[in-house]
Amino acid sequence: MQQFVNVTIDGAIIKAVKGTSVLDTAIEYGICIPHLCHIPYVSDMGACRLCIVENVVNGRSKVTTSCTLNVEDGMEIWTNTEKIRRLRKNIAELIVAQAPNSRAIQDVAVRCGVREVRYPFRNENCILCGRCVRVCEEIWQARARGFVGRGKERHVDFPFGIRPDFCKECGACIQLCPMTIPPCDGPIRDGEEYLCGKCESQLMIGEEMPLGSCSWCKLGEGFGCGRYVGVLR
Amino acid sequence: MLRLNSIRELDHLREYLKEKRQNYSTTISLCGGTGCQASDSQVVAEALKTELSRQDLEEKVRLCLTGCHGFCEQGPVMVIEPGNILYCHLSPEDAFEIVYQTVINGEIIERLLYTDPISGEKYITEEDIPFYKAQDRQILSKNRKVDPCVVEDYIVSGGYSALSLVLNNGYTPERIVNQVIESGLRGRGGGGFPTGRKWLECREAPGDEKYVICNADEGDPGAYMDRCVLEGNPHLVLEGMIIGARAVGASKGYIYVRNEYPLAVEHSRVAVEQARELGLLGNNILGSPFSFDVEIARGGGAFVCGESTALMASIEGKVGEPRAKDVHTVVDGLYHKPTTLNNVETWANVPSIILNGSSWFNSRGTKGSRGTKILALTGRIRNTGLVEVPMGIPIRDVVYDIGGGSVNGNKIKAVQIGGPSGGCLPAEIFDLPVDFDILAEAGSMVGSGGMVVMDESSCMVDVARYFLEFLQDESCGKCVPCRLGIDRMLEIITDITEGRGTIGQLDLLEELAETVSETSLCGLGKTAPNPVLTTLHYFRPEYEAHIYEKRCPAGVCKELISYSIDPEKCTGCGVCLKSCAHGAISGENKQPHVINTEFCQKCGICRSECRFDAIQVI
Repeated sequence: MQQFVNVTIDGAIIKAVKGTSVLDTAIEYGICIPHLCHIPYVSDMGACRLCIVENVVNGRSKVTTSCTLNVEDGMEIWTNTEKIRRLRKNIAELIVAQAPNSRAIQDVAVRCGVREVRYPFRNENCILCGRCVRVCEEIWQARARGFVGRGKERHVDFPFGIRPDFCKECGACIQLCPMTIPPCDGPIRDGEEYLCGKCESQLMIGEEMPLGSCSWCKLGEGFGCGRYVGVLR
Repeated sequence: MLRLNSIRELDHLREYLKEKRQNYSTTISLCGGTGCQASDSQVVAEALKTELSRQDLEEKVRLCLTGCHGFCEQGPVMVIEPGNILYCHLSPEDAFEIVYQTVINGEIIERLLYTDPISGEKYITEEDIPFYKAQDRQILSKNRKVDPCVVEDYIVSGGYSALSLVLNNGYTPERIVNQVIESGLRGRGGGGFPTGRKWLECREAPGDEKYVICNADEGDPGAYMDRCVLEGNPHLVLEGMIIGARAVGASKGYIYVRNEYPLAVEHSRVAVEQARELGLLGNNILGSPFSFDVEIARGGGAFVCGESTALMASIEGKVGEPRAKDVHTVVDGLYHKPTTLNNVETWANVPSIILNGSSWFNSRGTKGSRGTKILALTGRIRNTGLVEVPMGIPIRDVVYDIGGGSVNGNKIKAVQIGGPSGGCLPAEIFDLPVDFDILAEAGSMVGSGGMVVMDESSCMVDVARYFLEFLQDESCGKCVPCRLGIDRMLEIITDITEGRGTIGQLDLLEELAETVSETSLCGLGKTAPNPVLTTLHYFRPEYEAHIYEKRCPAGVCKELISYSIDPEKCTGCGVCLKSCAHGAISGENKQPHVINTEFCQKCGICRSECRFDAIQVI
């Protein structure tokens, strides 16, 4: 039987299913916490760190990722404090500077409030979110790809670099990869990287938009989503 | 070796061995630690052995190849009992003289005594030497008494008596835990978490199967205290682990030791085998219902495997990567079972706490930090080596009294405490005590106890860059702030050291450092910005000089300095001209020489060769 616990997220008392993560609970109740490496029904590794929240334990607040944090009775979570917004923006900036050519990543970065990137862009084609690795292992039970190397050398690859027979060519890895979502209208060329904000899925700040609406969802209101702020102007 | 079936049998064995040892009139404890082995103590041991057998003294004189004594700089060192005579800088040729003069005739060989480099005074015993005098060697002093591969040595010196105490009826596990809580012992590996509280949480965690782990995956540059304790006295660590297992209710333990420490691996393996033979490990230890066994796990060679969750993943056979610790390892640790993980030095402290009581341990140190701590003292000071000091001792005392101050008269500028994740503290605040909380407040940490002393010839920006480079290499790369954050911090600092720094970069650096320390997954990332943050805080003018004036005050950052020859001082001797590998120096004999900056690679060879101090760095 499902057991329930009471958690407080951003001041709202929520009845959450025991054993679920704070992120899942928040999303279910319409509290938007930006996230990138999280996929529903797949284990979380806490790689992208975008879903950080403040967990207040005995009056002391601790920053932790909500995807790896399971709900507990009496928990107090803040997803949208000034500190969290600042830290989240900095992390998003790091990620988007690494792979500015991905529409999905640009989108997340803009939603986290990144307006300009203060680091030189690098046109990498993987940000090591591990979505492909985990979906391959957990959903398809194939383990056809995994992380290789450590630190700077870390990358995703087939075992010994050769596609193994047990790869079912299901394409789930490609489908879930934040880099393979087709680039937007003005694809960024080498040396011309910037956050254009023109892309439909990113910054729909069109004049014709009614005040207070958002092309993405209403959830952005919660954490001061960049697009939302843009709409409110 | 016979298996011991009760506590009484262990006591009998100890008495028997003690009697047997009385036949020896002299004991020579020669250091066989890694430091002294590097200076050929093995060869000295062979020479001594030959000499002793030649003089037919093998029955009378016991030669004991011990673990590290601590004074590695003077190695190989030996101590001769009775008389407690300390000889240093030994060579195989000294063997005859030592045996003939000191062992047989009881005379002291002046030549081999320790000489104070400043006063020129000679010292006979360890206790008189300033390096040892200011220390409080509770753990390290035991190294000198035992051969790490001979369990009898450890038993004779009172070893395993703490174990027999806790295995007595009436000594409940709760009592052990309480005693450790009262002692105020805190983790010696870096975090400084109260050990007793960890044990209590693990004891109370649900589950029948529990584990204890000894973390000997020491990887800080320049730090080797765990290595020295595990190499020199593995049974002490083992005894601590058995007591800890009894306290938390564990039946299985692991010693996770770095594979790069071959001697530590070997000695701990031998110790476990010996303990098993004696019945100190295995089923029904010393006839009691308590069973516990230990396995050696060799490290996979990653710095990050010293982190508790990565270490456990590594033991399980997975990739050594940390995972989120929202549920503590005392509840969900190795194989998802409650696990107590402690550092080598922490375990080594346990037997004496049990034997001497928590108030004995409590009497040393400060309010928040009790007992003694082993520090690895290195850098630009006279006496380098392992030192054990009571907690709360001012940094100044460690650097100047024990370390003997600067090695070449340069002013000491800073000390880097706690390994790559620690911070650099300037000389102005050397009055700060070695204390977990106070150092953390100052932006550094006690950490595992590495202490690198730097003088004016070190550029603090360059130091920060060095540690970032180390951490970038050693980051597992799993989470974004650590992998990309350290990378970007390094990028910015490299810009600064190479003269491309801009004003805004310092603020960006600070902001980034905060993000990395707040949001990283594990301890490595959370503490990684410490060197940057502390140098920015205490040595900001140095950063500003790099950025605004494009100048490196310490003359280290190659892109910002240039070499030139002072024509007033140059005598035209031509030494620099010959030493320059790049052909950048030209000049006539007896005429002032000049450096062609186009070819100069700024290697600094000419400067070290010049006897007239004519080569300047600007």
